Amino acid sequence: MRRPTRTEARAARTAALFLLPFLALFALCFLAPLGYAIQQSLLRVERTGPLGLGGETREVWAGFANYSHALHDDGFTAGFARVLLFGAVQIPVMIAFATGLALLLDAASARWVGFFRTAFFLPYGVPGVIASILWGFLYVPGISPLHEMAHSVGWDIDFLSRDAVLWSIANIVTWQFTGYNMLVLIAQLKAVPTELYEAARIDGANAWQVARYVKLPLIRPALVLTTVFSLIGTLQLFAEPMVLRPLTNSIDSGYTPNLHAYNQAFTSDNQHIAAAEAVLLALVACVLSFGFLRLVGQRPRRPKAARRGTPVRRRARGGAR
Amino acid sequence: MSIDPRDDLGPGRRGLLGGAAAVAAGLGLAGCGSDGGGEGEHKARRKGQKITLTFWSWVPGIDKSVDLWNRENPEVRINLEKVSAVNGAQYAKMHASIKAGNPPDLGQIEYPVVPSFLLDNGLLDLTAYGVERHRGSFVGWQWQQSVFGKGVYAIPQASGPMGLFIRRDLFDEWGIDTPRTWDDYEAAAKAVRKRGSWIETFSTTNGNRFAGLAWQAGARWFGTAGDTWTVGIDDEPTRKVADFWDALVRQKLVKTIPDRQNAWYKDIQTGRMAAWLGASWGDALLAGNAPKTAGKWRVVPMPQWRKGEAAYANWGGSTTAVFSATRYPADALAFALWLNTDPRSVKLLIDGGYGFPSVKSGFDLADLDVRKDFFGGQAYSEVFAEAGRGVDTSWQWGPAVDALYQRLGDAFTAALDGGGSFRSVLRKVQGQTIQDLKDKGLKVAAA
Repeated sequence: MRRPTRTEARAARTAALFLLPFLALFALCFLAPLGYAIQQSLLRVERTGPLGLGGETREVWAGFANYSHALHDDGFTAGFARVLLFGAVQIPVMIAFATGLALLLDAASARWVGFFRTAFFLPYGVPGVIASILWGFLYVPGISPLHEMAHSVGWDIDFLSRDAVLWSIANIVTWQFTGYNMLVLIAQLKAVPTELYEAARIDGANAWQVARYVKLPLIRPALVLTTVFSLIGTLQLFAEPMVLRPLTNSIDSGYTPNLHAYNQAFTSDNQHIAAAEAVLLALVACVLSFGFLRLVGQRPRRPKAARRGTPVRRRARGGAR
Repeated sequence: MSIDPRDDLGPGRRGLLGGAAAVAAGLGLAGCGSDGGGEGEHKARRKGQKITLTFWSWVPGIDKSVDLWNRENPEVRINLEKVSAVNGAQYAKMHASIKAGNPPDLGQIEYPVVPSFLLDNGLLDLTAYGVERHRGSFVGWQWQQSVFGKGVYAIPQASGPMGLFIRRDLFDEWGIDTPRTWDDYEAAAKAVRKRGSWIETFSTTNGNRFAGLAWQAGARWFGTAGDTWTVGIDDEPTRKVADFWDALVRQKLVKTIPDRQNAWYKDIQTGRMAAWLGASWGDALLAGNAPKTAGKWRVVPMPQWRKGEAAYANWGGSTTAVFSATRYPADALAFALWLNTDPRSVKLLIDGGYGFPSVKSGFDLADLDVRKDFFGGQAYSEVFAEAGRGVDTSWQWGPAVDALYQRLGDAFTAALDGGGSFRSVLRKVQGQTIQDLKDKGLKVAAA
């Protein structure tokens, strides 16, 4: 490896200066908590004193005992199965919905685009907890107008029953995030050069063909991105089951992995086991997201490349691509 | 005077010295020796020094008592912060604050969860501050709920003797007798069901009430044997209770929705549910949420397992505890005692609907009939007072009761879903609870 020239060294220093605020915050808000969680997950509490009361408590090394505890807890693993089933159904539905809306709003003949875009996006502005409370009212039998309406046409549905509640949660999530994903897709559609559409039209493509053969392939990166975000969001499902839980006996304390970890930490006061569960959840999210990216043949930008190459060489390579 | 926690004195000595200092400057009480001790830097307030103590509570109307104290004690300001009591959120917050090292000075803690906070070393042993002198002011068994070993860890505030709320008008209209025994209750449930309504709900997630039912039947879920906790959730009395409700649920004689939630309130308002096995504090709850049914409700004693018995139980009730990290333990304790014994404060708390006072004197039983009109003029507090006298006072709570309730809720929910009988729930939860306590590093055995 050759020595960097003085210009390059200065550029690197400048880059470091600009990166510093980000790196400082990243370390403080991301790496430090992560490190703390990992450290906590490897400890356990030891108590002395009669009945474990009033004596000294100290934290001792536990190795992977907390991880093994979490993996042997049926409630915790069942939560994973549940969110995976949830994701397998809800994510495709939501992304298809968002794509449809984005294409409609991007179509040449669309009217009142600004209004509809805002209207579809609006639910995203409602915090998840509030959205769950709102929908909670629409789900509770005896209060819900939806329930009344269904009943009046002879259809007795209990949105909060054991079989239905997962899909009632899916409905809340879809309601909330379709607009957001739509907006990401629209942003990418806007970035498509208009010449491409012109060329397609000159070649005789109709609106449907433009959408199918020009737009969809071009927004593929945005589709992948929104899917990965949704995947991570699904694994972290928390606010909706947490808020609906008091309303129904169908949601147990480990309904989703996040809820299980929360209850371990704050109901059962087992912070160390909760830390292990949180780390496991992060690992699964990591594996699934990167697995998905690999599956669709798109790799995340390698940080390795950045470390190896100088800024100049990187630019050159980027240009060559 | 401040005691440096880093010095070489053992916790006992430190507590003793802190106590002695507090005695000299604060309450003028006789200090007692103590095994426990705080972890915070305990100080005695200098004369004339102004301090502020933080108090976390959720009891409706407690702000009025706090205001009264603040008017009369300008030097020790109590800063009341309301915390949410939904699904144990308040305890999550308290546990987290202890872990983070910044808990409030005082907190509202229900009897069942006092031991959980002792595991965190979160509560101050008040014996060093002369609390024993006040033992006689409170109902004995309620005082005892916060006594572990030689330490006293909280001041009892109120209890919740259980009773049965019934819609007198509907029971009369349908010709159903007031249930005196659990057999009567089952018969009444059938009769109510025939009219298209439900007698009530068995909420699978309400561990507190199930504990009360087991308590009445003579169960002993927790105990201590020397240095070891004993756990007996799967005992004969609890099995009897589980079998009884299992049968009601399987015959579809009771609903299984959660209680005290929107759907339940709706049922209570519309007469779709004709009774509620509740506790003394339930008067405010019913009157507040079903105002249109005023005058139609009555309180009757909890049904008995054998005719003519007078076994009752307790649901709810809480304490005012001082956290060990407080800097001014003597002042915090002084407030906790005043809050729960001063007749004016007790009156304000009664009006707010906090439950049955733990203090023995300073109020009339009739004061507790705050919502007499709602119960058609009945002096309903007499029913609860009678129940309070019949509570089996040897019942003891153990550590990690919150986790136990969660275990019960999850297992009952699974059982409803076809996962077995309620009796199998007890077996499962018994095993889980023993394991949970072992995981916490405690010595534990099956009772």
